[in-house]
Amino acid sequence: MTTAAIHEGSMPVTITVNGRTEKAEVPGLTPLGDFLREKLGLTGTKLGCRAGDCGSCTVLVDSVPVASCLMPVAQVGERAVATVEGLGGEGDLHPLQEAFRNNNASQCGFCIPGILMAATAFLDRAEPPSRAEVVDGLSGNLCRCTGYESIVSAIVEAHTLNREA
Amino acid sequence: MSGPAWVGQGIPQVDMLDKLRGSTKYIADISVSGMLHAVIVRSPVAHGRLHAVDVDRAKKVPGVRAVLTSADTPHRFFGPHANDWEILASEKVRSFGDEIAAIAATTLDAAREAAALVTATVEELPAVFDAREALRDGAPTVWEDRPGNVANSFQISRGNVEEAFAKADLVVTDRYSTNQIYHAYLEPIGVMAEYHPSGSYTLTVPSHIPYKARLTYAGALGVRPDQIRIVVPPIGGSFGAKYEMIEPLIAAVLARDTGRPVRLVYDREEDALIARSRPPFWFHHRIGVTAEGMFIARETEVVGTAGSRVFWSPAVLATAIHRVDSLYNFHNMAGTGALAYTNEAPTTCMRGFGNAESLFGIEQMIDEIGEKLGIDPVELRQRNAVREGETTLHGWHISSSKLPECLERVKEVSDLDNQRRETRKQRGLTGVRRGIGVAIAHHVSGYRPILADYDGSSAIVHATSGGRVTLFVGEPDIGQGQATVLSQLACDELGCSPDDVNLQGVDSALSPDAVGTLASRATTMAGNAVVAAARSARQKLDALLADHWRTTPDRLHREGEVVHFGEQSLTFRESMALYAASNCGLPLLGEGVHRPATQMPDKDKYGNPSAAYPFAAHVAEVEVDCDSGQIRVTRYWAVHDSGTILNPSTARGQVVGAIAQGVGWALMEDVKVDLGRVRNPNFLDYRIPGSGDMPETYVEFVDAYEPNGPHGAKSLAEAAINPVTAAIANAFHDATGIRCHDLPLAPERIWELLTGARAQSPAHDAEEALI
Repeated sequence: MTTAAIHEGSMPVTITVNGRTEKAEVPGLTPLGDFLREKLGLTGTKLGCRAGDCGSCTVLVDSVPVASCLMPVAQVGERAVATVEGLGGEGDLHPLQEAFRNNNASQCGFCIPGILMAATAFLDRAEPPSRAEVVDGLSGNLCRCTGYESIVSAIVEAHTLNREA
Repeated sequence: MSGPAWVGQGIPQVDMLDKLRGSTKYIADISVSGMLHAVIVRSPVAHGRLHAVDVDRAKKVPGVRAVLTSADTPHRFFGPHANDWEILASEKVRSFGDEIAAIAATTLDAAREAAALVTATVEELPAVFDAREALRDGAPTVWEDRPGNVANSFQISRGNVEEAFAKADLVVTDRYSTNQIYHAYLEPIGVMAEYHPSGSYTLTVPSHIPYKARLTYAGALGVRPDQIRIVVPPIGGSFGAKYEMIEPLIAAVLARDTGRPVRLVYDREEDALIARSRPPFWFHHRIGVTAEGMFIARETEVVGTAGSRVFWSPAVLATAIHRVDSLYNFHNMAGTGALAYTNEAPTTCMRGFGNAESLFGIEQMIDEIGEKLGIDPVELRQRNAVREGETTLHGWHISSSKLPECLERVKEVSDLDNQRRETRKQRGLTGVRRGIGVAIAHHVSGYRPILADYDGSSAIVHATSGGRVTLFVGEPDIGQGQATVLSQLACDELGCSPDDVNLQGVDSALSPDAVGTLASRATTMAGNAVVAAARSARQKLDALLADHWRTTPDRLHREGEVVHFGEQSLTFRESMALYAASNCGLPLLGEGVHRPATQMPDKDKYGNPSAAYPFAAHVAEVEVDCDSGQIRVTRYWAVHDSGTILNPSTARGQVVGAIAQGVGWALMEDVKVDLGRVRNPNFLDYRIPGSGDMPETYVEFVDAYEPNGPHGAKSLAEAAINPVTAAIANAFHDATGIRCHDLPLAPERIWELLTGARAQSPAHDAEEALI
């Protein structure tokens, strides 16, 4: 690709989001978050600051939580992107969604998609995370409504639900 | 019928699954066909005469459909409190960021490119950036027709305050200040406007007082209120910021000019740069007490910042001056206050609404009084707190209060007395010191003067043949769980399940007119209205079922979602199918009106403005790192009287969330304004609490019942932030012996206070010598 294509002209982009391969023509520096929301209509990913400070736009890129407002879409390459829309199935909740519901771990809800994606990292661990570990792990995500307590409880509970499932 | 099936249960929020799936459509997620994107061009100076705005180059940018200046707007001044708003600035700009032109284009990039090409010829004028300076002689004038820069003033007095002070055994006088706070909702402000050839508008606006806002918008656009359909999408946090905004009007004139839908969504920086924040206040308080520790007089003077235009700051000022008289009985009081126009962004209300600001100082002074008189701080508060059944100085009737129980419980669960004995022994100015502090608070559940026409609320219940129930109220849910508690209340009346219910988002074409979701009023007011509406629907259904079973309604028996008559029974869904079939398809409709017995305060501001008053007693434990000035809240206890708790899970969430906002306010948050320009318009430099900043928190609701609330409930979420800054400041004093008079208790300020105290402390010199 040419430098010009990255900065202004459109370039073809092929990425895999929630298991589906998507193609579009966009400037390569388009942030992944904008690409998801505007080109793919996946508005579950929220843009709260566009500076990597709030974590609302967190998605997974090859299972690693990433601020999608900062990552250019051209940088995703072959890696698989997962967003909140791919978290649960139809009528079938992901353990995190179930635990967040059980704990009323959302108020206005705007930060929640990003927090859910950031929290997936805890579920793969063998041992249940302690509350302190979850608190540390959430340091990149801001929530203005809940005070985090219900969110931390939900993530700890989700680990158990995930093991049982 | 047995007890309520749903009220009192900690059920999940009814709109939770959409939020967890990312399918909730906030304003930035809504696009419509043909939609244009709007960008605002803002004043580069804080104060100036606007000679010309050149838009020629901007208009030539491909994709641009409109570039408007003041000349293109309905030219009139308007505003919710004073006629000092304009859609776009005409002759002058009065704060950095004032709106001077607006662009609509087919893409956001084109709109931004055009915005950069607009040039304004501005003759800069001397500006004023501090409310206290603005009120002095010779200060630059922000509004020519308001010499002296007084945007608003408030006076009130009861009894004979000077006589009472003369009789007092102890008079304490002090100054306190509270700072400018950004609401910091995660969803930046956004709106969408559509113009219809008939001359009407549809405004999609995340406002939680949509009908009140519509009155302002109609005045500005020169149309009747019914020519504006206002639709409220899900709101991604507000805390008081998203009331009446200027943005819907800018989008509306662009939509009218272009004939196309226009969406305007801020990014974080723009949102924070022009944020209508919590107004900063400077207080002088004087309290007179008898030797027995009985309050007999209070005097308060407040100066605050309105900014360049008046939003909701006058109501905040009035609250800061006189609401505390329904928490404590001071017997005699006098309060005065003024809000100044300055060349800064306008300020407005935020959770706590002046009451939290006033309590930051008063609750510290009460500790001070206790110390001087040798009276325990909890005991001193008990002696002077207003009691259930009392009518307070300004005629506010306290129909229920379990504040005494809250205080006793918080003392017990925090082990306050034992802990304080320990912390007092260890008090000092070096190393890490621990302290514990108490503070109490109250609030309202609605406030009569918000809307001149009426108080209260109304609701419509609509149930289909399939048993799907929709509630219509005019009070928007703002994430606090109101849709959930309203559903619970409706289910207990109707005999259905929350899975069958949804709350219609407020839409003026469908929903009842309403005062709105503010002043902690929605659960109390809309809750009562929903109960009445659901009851009227159930009565219709019961009449039909009685007819069907050839009996009378009083012989029907409901158990959960089933109605029984003798051996026969029908589920809610079955009964709804029967109802619709018997009425040629008509849905079951119930209507409910709740008229609270509140009073519009008279010309002397006397009269009971709220149906109910919630109370809270909090204790904070802090650790002060005296080397860095860093304070951490390590543990926190909150005991509340909010009447019956309709949903313990969402109620706890409200309290914990309010404490988080209080911790942020107390310790870290501060809008830094330099020469009228916000210097920290992002979450890196304007830090709000993260997960690691939160203390371990104990929350308890005492057994209580409010006769004016639905099922005995009253409000919650503002009472929960009101005591937080004072509890933390009292804990800091307990740890170090230092009073902090200003917010926030951020490391620089605390380090300076500690350094100053060490310099004056002989004990510390001795300590230093030992080192």
